[in-house]
Amino acid sequence: MAENAVELHNVTKCFSKVIANDDVSLEIGKGEVVALLGENGAGKSTIMKILYGLYSMDEGRIVIDGKEVRIKSPKDAISHGIAMIQQHFSLVFPHTVTENIVLGNVHGWLDLKEAKEKVGMLAKKYGFPVPLDARVGDLAVGVQQKVEILKALYLDARILIMDEPTAVLTPQEAESLVSFIRSYAADGNSVVFITHKMKEVMESADRIIVMRNGRITGNVLKSETNERELARMMMGEELEVESEEEPIDVSKLPVSIEVVDARKKNRDGIAVLDGVSFSVHKGEIFGIAGVSGNGQDEICEAISGNMKLDGGKIIFEGKDITNESVRKRIEEGIGYVPVDRYKDGMVMEMTLSENMMLKSSYSEKWVKNGFIDKKGIDEYTDEVIRDYQVKATGHSDIAHNLSGGNQQKVVLAREIDAGRHAIIFNQPTRGLDIGAVDRIHRAIKGEKRKGKAVVVVSTELTEIFELSDRICVMYRGKIMGIYNRGELTTGRIGLLMAGVEDGKA
Amino acid sequence: MGKREIPSSVKRGYLDALLFNIGAIIIGLLISAMMILFLKQSPITVFSTALGRIFSDKYTLGEVLVKATPLVFTSLAFAFTYKANLFNIGAQGQFYAGCISAVSISLALGGKVPTALLIVIVLVASFLSGALVGALIGIAKAKFGANEFLVSMMSTYVVQAVMDFLLRTVLRETKAEYIQTDPIVREAFLPGIVPGTRIHLGTLIAILSAIAIWVLLYKTSLGFRIRAVGRNSDASEHSGINSKLIFVVAFLISGGLAGMAGLTEINGVQHMLLQNFNSSIGSFGIGIAILANGHPIGIIFSSILFGFLNVIGTTMGRIPGLNIPASIIDLIQGIVMTSVIISYFIRESVGRRREKRMLKSGEVEA
Amino acid sequence: MISILTRAVMMSTPLLLGSIAEVFAERTGMMVTAIEGIFLMGAWGGFIGTFISGSIVVGLLTAVLMGFLMALLYAFITVYLRQQQIVVGTAMNILAGGICAYFQRVLFGIPTTPLQISVLEKIPIPILSDIPVLGEIFFEQNILTYIAYLVIPVSYIILFKTSLGLAIRSVGENPEAADVSGINVNRIRFSTVLVAGAFGGLAGSFYTVGYLGMFTTGIIGGRGWIAFAICFLGNWNPKGAVFGTLVFGLAEAISIYLQSTGGIAIMPNEFVIALPYILTIALTIAKRSFNVPAKLGVPYLKES
Repeated sequence: MAENAVELHNVTKCFSKVIANDDVSLEIGKGEVVALLGENGAGKSTIMKILYGLYSMDEGRIVIDGKEVRIKSPKDAISHGIAMIQQHFSLVFPHTVTENIVLGNVHGWLDLKEAKEKVGMLAKKYGFPVPLDARVGDLAVGVQQKVEILKALYLDARILIMDEPTAVLTPQEAESLVSFIRSYAADGNSVVFITHKMKEVMESADRIIVMRNGRITGNVLKSETNERELARMMMGEELEVESEEEPIDVSKLPVSIEVVDARKKNRDGIAVLDGVSFSVHKGEIFGIAGVSGNGQDEICEAISGNMKLDGGKIIFEGKDITNESVRKRIEEGIGYVPVDRYKDGMVMEMTLSENMMLKSSYSEKWVKNGFIDKKGIDEYTDEVIRDYQVKATGHSDIAHNLSGGNQQKVVLAREIDAGRHAIIFNQPTRGLDIGAVDRIHRAIKGEKRKGKAVVVVSTELTEIFELSDRICVMYRGKIMGIYNRGELTTGRIGLLMAGVEDGKA
Repeated sequence: MGKREIPSSVKRGYLDALLFNIGAIIIGLLISAMMILFLKQSPITVFSTALGRIFSDKYTLGEVLVKATPLVFTSLAFAFTYKANLFNIGAQGQFYAGCISAVSISLALGGKVPTALLIVIVLVASFLSGALVGALIGIAKAKFGANEFLVSMMSTYVVQAVMDFLLRTVLRETKAEYIQTDPIVREAFLPGIVPGTRIHLGTLIAILSAIAIWVLLYKTSLGFRIRAVGRNSDASEHSGINSKLIFVVAFLISGGLAGMAGLTEINGVQHMLLQNFNSSIGSFGIGIAILANGHPIGIIFSSILFGFLNVIGTTMGRIPGLNIPASIIDLIQGIVMTSVIISYFIRESVGRRREKRMLKSGEVEA
Repeated sequence: MISILTRAVMMSTPLLLGSIAEVFAERTGMMVTAIEGIFLMGAWGGFIGTFISGSIVVGLLTAVLMGFLMALLYAFITVYLRQQQIVVGTAMNILAGGICAYFQRVLFGIPTTPLQISVLEKIPIPILSDIPVLGEIFFEQNILTYIAYLVIPVSYIILFKTSLGLAIRSVGENPEAADVSGINVNRIRFSTVLVAGAFGGLAGSFYTVGYLGMFTTGIIGGRGWIAFAICFLGNWNPKGAVFGTLVFGLAEAISIYLQSTGGIAIMPNEFVIALPYILTIALTIAKRSFNVPAKLGVPYLKES
């Protein structure tokens, strides 16, 4: 590259419990597409948030167009032509598209007419049709992302940073995003996209910077590398290829969970579950694949009793449990690892023991005459810490002082214990490092072998293929089909996830 | 992103909290003392004279506990719902509900049943009447999703209006001279427990209640559920806990606690009910709960501190020639509370900085 | 009848100023739970300013200053020190009570006769006040009421037609989004609360300077909380605040009327006094769809 748009020199950033960036230096050329690759928690987002002024660095320098600059807030970053699209979009849902786009960039009167003209022009140029007067909260995530991109273009950004831009997109939407990135960079602009998906990197980046544990572990041109080398830089070890398990014939196994014609509409009257039916047998892992937000969370919540269905039935071990409470279902032996452990799985301010007994506060297990058997639960928790190799000093540690992977192990241990007959895992390894993922996968397979009915929801195809005996694909609240593991290829499942019937384009 | 972790040191946390709290209280008192300068008096003279009077006089010293007693109840009331992440700002009204029951029953049954039995009846009745008001707020929250902060806040004014109405009509004294009740008979008094002071059985009940609430919150499964819902109601619902039921239960117990102050104040101190009776114990209860960070045992000590501030304020007002107004109590309490709240922030940021320093110096294993 | 309505409009004045101030603050995600204390400081400031200087204008300015200072302390602790808003509000309200009571005494000792100031005069607006019925109700009021009239359209325009209003609304709904867009979230919150405090102080001064002509520590008696409630019930919108305010103003006017005419025979006086509070409870329970700002009461912390 002839000239660098941005250079970061020796940036270090500590959070209260983590060193997120440790002496990181990198540069982004003009007209260049850079992929910032790494596992969750590698420090990719942090370094970009520092560049965008959202975080302040402890040490280091930022150089833009050859001049050293100080970036103390996003306002400074914007004035240097930097725009950043956050992983969880920064949109004000009750406001209109135009209001969102002009936010922070208008003064005095709100003159939306002029803004609309400019946005309309940009939308046309890059082929982004967005309804300018619609409430952003009403739009699909793919469209919301276009609003974010338009906002960056509206600000005349020269350096566009995107944090995990394809996480919420169908493979086809992702493709059109890649073509936008190419044409935008062709105009001399720079793009950084943060990702942990190797496939994307190989498709769209000019250069790849790999991060691990807060440090840069690789900086290579795409033309000079391959996926295997990138994986090694990312993980620090060769990826182990999982040996295939023996295929099993589920029809011989007794049915445990039966979902019959489950229907649910959300607040806006859109069907989030549109006649979903399937059954899960004892001793199998039933994988549910799909782009996130296509009804997977709802089906988990319906089976565990946290969401009431509008229609349909849930049968468990031959009993109709459609109208039973969560508490009753826990007593029946259904374990559930929810997708968001911060929100639904743990009480972060409580100790590990307390989190361990969260689901047993009504049972006699650790409660005698209304009083808690503290010794019993503490000992049990210490056992779990040993068995699952949870990195913690003991049962009295506060949950939020643990890393994500260790928190997840605690939830998993609790649910495996609570789910005597069936366990539902919603994205059990999201955001975890490779070691933790491996351990969790082994635990899930172990439960299957014990004869439990296991449901695994995942947006990661590798996880789906590794664990599932049967795979179902969900799209817009419907099941696109249920297949044995061997029947699906990556290409076919990608089309099913995009709503193409039978996966044949 | 949790790559490197600090082992939590719970013990140090408690000690820090205590030291910071005491420090903040002392700073608050020093600032308050400065306020005396505005009256062109020497804070040192005023404080030393007042302290001398309090500690040389058993009766006045006893008043500290007498004043602290109802505050234990109203602050427990706030703290209890606070543990369920709810705000009961209506302890004043629940206290009045307790007062109405206490005075009515004492007037009706006083002298007719044995004192011990009467005390038990009043205890239960004052708890239940406060609990009724509390439970209604809890139901409004659980069933209608009403903002409990607003509803509890407004409930005080409504209960007060009911109390004023009763005082003016059916409960009014036989002479019908003032808007107040007849005094209750001596047999209905809470017995004194320290001769030469006004300290009564209610003080003991208050301390026992605080201990009972501590046991309830930290040793029982119900308390566990209340705290779990307070910290994270979504995770609690996912664990089969009915958070709406917990809302009602928490408000019921909270209201009952505030109601019990009716017993201690009517049967232990005032022996009658009058308009605007103890009109600020509700809001001081909140202040005390904040001071104690919501901990039931801490509440006993913070209440004694507030009782002490109250007595020192009144004593200052009574020192001849100094002319210190009793309203200095409110000023001192306001300043001390503000100082403690600010200390919470300082404690947090000192803790954060310390962790960061340890992380950088590599004291902690990766 | 007309006199009751005139009175209703008059008694609505502080509630309107206070609730619109609260609407602005809450739109940024800040509950001003110190509003009762701010009202009280305003009432006291209005009184001492007028009493000492003899000028009502100085009194009103003192009231604004007092409300501003109270809000300054509250906003500093809640926005920058990120402490719980309800907790801090309680402390501020107790502190305000202490300051007013104590310094009233410091300034005036124990007066032998109650201290009085003259109250704001009614200013009939030429032409408009000649309109039958409406003229008397709306246009024979004091200056504070006319200020309140102006605040209604101005607040609406600022909130919905200017970039500042867009920033205010965004900060309360999604502070991260506002931050990412280059808006300083804490500065918007902090300064909005300060302005709300100034208006809250002005509102409080109504009770001394505009109405009673004297000061007692119980003069506000929960009316700050009613303004707080109106903000909720009016769905965080100046229009809703106007409507809510009139309902409460009417209740208060009827209450005063019944007390003065011995309407006790019809219903107990205490019930009438409790009416606004019962109304608040009933409306809080009855109201289903709230448009509550998503991040109301949540401090904004950029990094952990």
